[in-house]
Amino acid sequence: MRELNDLKVLPSTRIERLRLIFVFWLFSGGFIYIAGGLIVRQWLQSGDLKEQSDSQSRRIILKPPARGLIHDRNGYVLVENRVRWSVKADLSELQPEFQAEYRKLLAAEKARETGHIDREKIQDSARLNVLQRWLDKVWFVIDATSRNIRKNKLPVKSNPVDSPTERLVKIDDLKKHLRERRALPFTLVSDLAFPGADQSITPEEGVRAVARFVEQFPVDGPIRLDSDIIRTYPHGTLAAHVLGYVKDTDELPPNSLNDEKNELLQKLHYTGKKGAAGIEESYNEILCGLSGWELWTKTSAGYNKELLRKSDPTQGTAVTLSLDVEIQRAAEKALAQIKDSQGKVLPAAAVMLDVNTGEILALASQPTFNPNRLADRVTRTYFDEIETSGGWLNRSIQGLYPPGSTFKVITAIAGMRNKVIDWDDILECGPSYRVGGRDFPEHDPAGYGQVDLEKMLAVSCNVWNYQVGLGVGIEPLAAEARRFGLDTPLLQMPPTADNKNATELPFPANRGLVVPDTAYKLRIGAGPWTGGDTANTAIGQGFLLTTPLHMACVAASIARGETRTTPTIIHDPGRDGRHQSAEAIGLNGLQLAALRSGLNRCVEEGTARSVMIPGLAFAAKTGTSEYFQKGQKAHLAWIIGYASADNPAVAFCVLVEGQLDTSTWGGKTAGPVARDMILAWAKKTPVSEVKNEAEVPAR
Amino acid sequence: MDKNRQGAKASYVAFFVFVAIWIMSPSFVRMGTREAFVEFQAPALHLVAKGRDLARFWELKSKSAEELAAASRDLARINAALELKVRTLEDIRQENIRLRELARYAAPREFLTIVARVASRDSTSWWHRIVLRKGRSDGVRPGCPVVFSDRVIGKVSLVHLNTCEVDLVTSPNFRCTAYLEGDEQGRIVLVSGLPANSLGTARAKIAVIPMDYLPSAGQSPKVVTTGMGGVFPAGLIIGTLDANIRTTQEGNFKEGTLQPSRNLFSLQEVSVLVPIHPAAGEILLEKRYEDFQ
Repeated sequence: MRELNDLKVLPSTRIERLRLIFVFWLFSGGFIYIAGGLIVRQWLQSGDLKEQSDSQSRRIILKPPARGLIHDRNGYVLVENRVRWSVKADLSELQPEFQAEYRKLLAAEKARETGHIDREKIQDSARLNVLQRWLDKVWFVIDATSRNIRKNKLPVKSNPVDSPTERLVKIDDLKKHLRERRALPFTLVSDLAFPGADQSITPEEGVRAVARFVEQFPVDGPIRLDSDIIRTYPHGTLAAHVLGYVKDTDELPPNSLNDEKNELLQKLHYTGKKGAAGIEESYNEILCGLSGWELWTKTSAGYNKELLRKSDPTQGTAVTLSLDVEIQRAAEKALAQIKDSQGKVLPAAAVMLDVNTGEILALASQPTFNPNRLADRVTRTYFDEIETSGGWLNRSIQGLYPPGSTFKVITAIAGMRNKVIDWDDILECGPSYRVGGRDFPEHDPAGYGQVDLEKMLAVSCNVWNYQVGLGVGIEPLAAEARRFGLDTPLLQMPPTADNKNATELPFPANRGLVVPDTAYKLRIGAGPWTGGDTANTAIGQGFLLTTPLHMACVAASIARGETRTTPTIIHDPGRDGRHQSAEAIGLNGLQLAALRSGLNRCVEEGTARSVMIPGLAFAAKTGTSEYFQKGQKAHLAWIIGYASADNPAVAFCVLVEGQLDTSTWGGKTAGPVARDMILAWAKKTPVSEVKNEAEVPAR
Repeated sequence: MDKNRQGAKASYVAFFVFVAIWIMSPSFVRMGTREAFVEFQAPALHLVAKGRDLARFWELKSKSAEELAAASRDLARINAALELKVRTLEDIRQENIRLRELARYAAPREFLTIVARVASRDSTSWWHRIVLRKGRSDGVRPGCPVVFSDRVIGKVSLVHLNTCEVDLVTSPNFRCTAYLEGDEQGRIVLVSGLPANSLGTARAKIAVIPMDYLPSAGQSPKVVTTGMGGVFPAGLIIGTLDANIRTTQEGNFKEGTLQPSRNLFSLQEVSVLVPIHPAAGEILLEKRYEDFQ
């Protein structure tokens, strides 16, 4: 120690000792602080920090699933998915090219000596130039056949003036992509087989384009062929209002990810599809399936680096509709024949349903649209075209119309049930009937003379109905209409926790239905109820408003001898044929037989005789009601009924909105559509069920 | 310090200096070096292949007279069958010519055929490549289809002066469109090579098989070229579809495995189909695209 002291290793003075102690404690404190920090970070906070690190360096990419298929009752595919081949650019692999182009453009800008240099703009231009060059190469491979190479006629570089839009990279699309989905590949061509929104190329040309890209474009580059699934409607416009269409959405279906665990991770997603109308919309949750996901690490620049885990999307469940594709096609084909004097199709609707189960076999509405043209990107022109024509409206379930003379079956039932008239009573029916000082006309100026129930149904006598309607009174008449469900919402789905008012098809006209009575007229402020209102109601005019589907249900109910039919668009082979709130029709055997006989005579000798089918007896009631279109009176042509007459299996209703310049009559205008639907049904039904007296004529 | 250790240190330094120079050297220098190495290697490959042919020749020459007589007899039978087939084909050819003349339809000649011997095979299963003893000097160009009889072998990927490299159908760099035997609707499927493990079997995947495609029980349907892509003539056999077809999890398509039509690693001779006019893909591969703009 002495030696050490002699060497002056230890401090000798007090100041030096204090300094040493100070330095000792300073370093000790520092070490303790660092060690403590290390313990806190490594032991106590390690879980949180790892989570934070993961959330900053990882991301989840959600992938939309393929939607479920939609079939008709016989298993024919109505809606399916097709593969869409897209050409995409991997932006992370293109970084060196972007940088080289940027340097080139920057040098050129500096050489120009313009003063201020907008570097961001140059960067955008560099990216745009590089991507445009690659897109030109893609089209070069697709366009350059050996013939035009031989003739030295090669495609030239795309330019904004002459080139179709799919051949140009749009700066706005690129900026949006870089802002929102930088990590995902940038789409250069969204649908290689059908590049233009107008679908102007043939399927073979489309396949050839895909094949050329597959076989000729370099595999190991930044440009890749990607395939995904999009919706396709193989029958085009067929049943478009029932099927609906799909549109882009950022809200993807649920996935198998543990959301709590991955809450902090950045999530990106591809654009998905959701139902926008029809079954696609109302059954979206069933059709949509489960999204897939990929867990990626990411680079500091925000691009994907390494795929850690993934789960493939799961396709949605298939839905089987009650529609019969052949009957539906027959209905739509017949509707398309109904045109005005300028050759434009008239707005119309047709429904056919199974009498026993209530399953809808055909549900057509005209004008219509092609869901294929709405499935990807709808053009403004096509959207406006549908808007102008009124094609969005599904007239079968959304159109509200006065039912006209088809309502007379309900007036007749009300008369018999209220004992105002019996099946064999005869009423004197002149050319008009005076109610409250006003003459209510017969549609035949000569009148029909002595008319019983059967004749009334055959010739659609108005005066008979004025008398019976006034005898019954509006309240019992309205009650009878309600008993047949004319104010009842249709196509209701069993309520779920999420949606208590779900319907099988979106927005049926359930709220606008009107079965008028005295309270109704007062409620809308139209004054007190009058006898004239009752007379109008008795022939299906006035305030009455219903849909073609409701009237088809009335026909089905009468065919079964009941009051209610619960229609459905979903096929269930085990359906038992029981209908909600249905009760017996409340007529005795003679009354019911007379009612049905009257409907048969309507076809055999009455207002529907022009559409009689030799060898296939069916029952019908026509109607021609009035409505106001753009302030002017026009006609609605109706026909309801069932087939066959002796063994009812299908019920139908057809409605045509007449134009101002056309004469529109129930039997003449709407009848042929009903006839074609019946023939389509009869063609595929065993002869014993049709109960033919002769062969069903081939069409 | 020990002299040996000093020497080891120097060799490490030399190695790292060489690597640094290689990394820093311009790409044309590296490409030139690589090309020079390939050309330097080419005579050796030729020599090895010739030697193999010679060995085969002597192997055959050592056969006994009885064996040769039996082989000769078998060959005679095969020749007779083939002669019959040739005569039938000749009739069809004549008929074809007659019909073309009648319709005044001039048949364009799309390909020149170059027969090439296989010089070597890449034994690593990552690359799935073979080297042919024909190159640029023989008219071979990149992107040309390579076939054996009516079977697809692969596609030329790199062309050197006297040799060329072929990506086999099992190579990850190979892809083409195809039809499946028995699919009457003629829908295209996608064939692409798969990277295999070092000791694994070379495989290719067939994707986008329609859901309603059902091959006949117990049969392996042929996978044939579509001819729509502008590279392979239509109707060439790529291989057969393995029986184990599975549905993708998305449930929209099926996918399966391709069994190549030949044992790709025992090929001796193939034909390179050189298109008379270059395809667009070839122009891209040769980086001559800008010339056409």
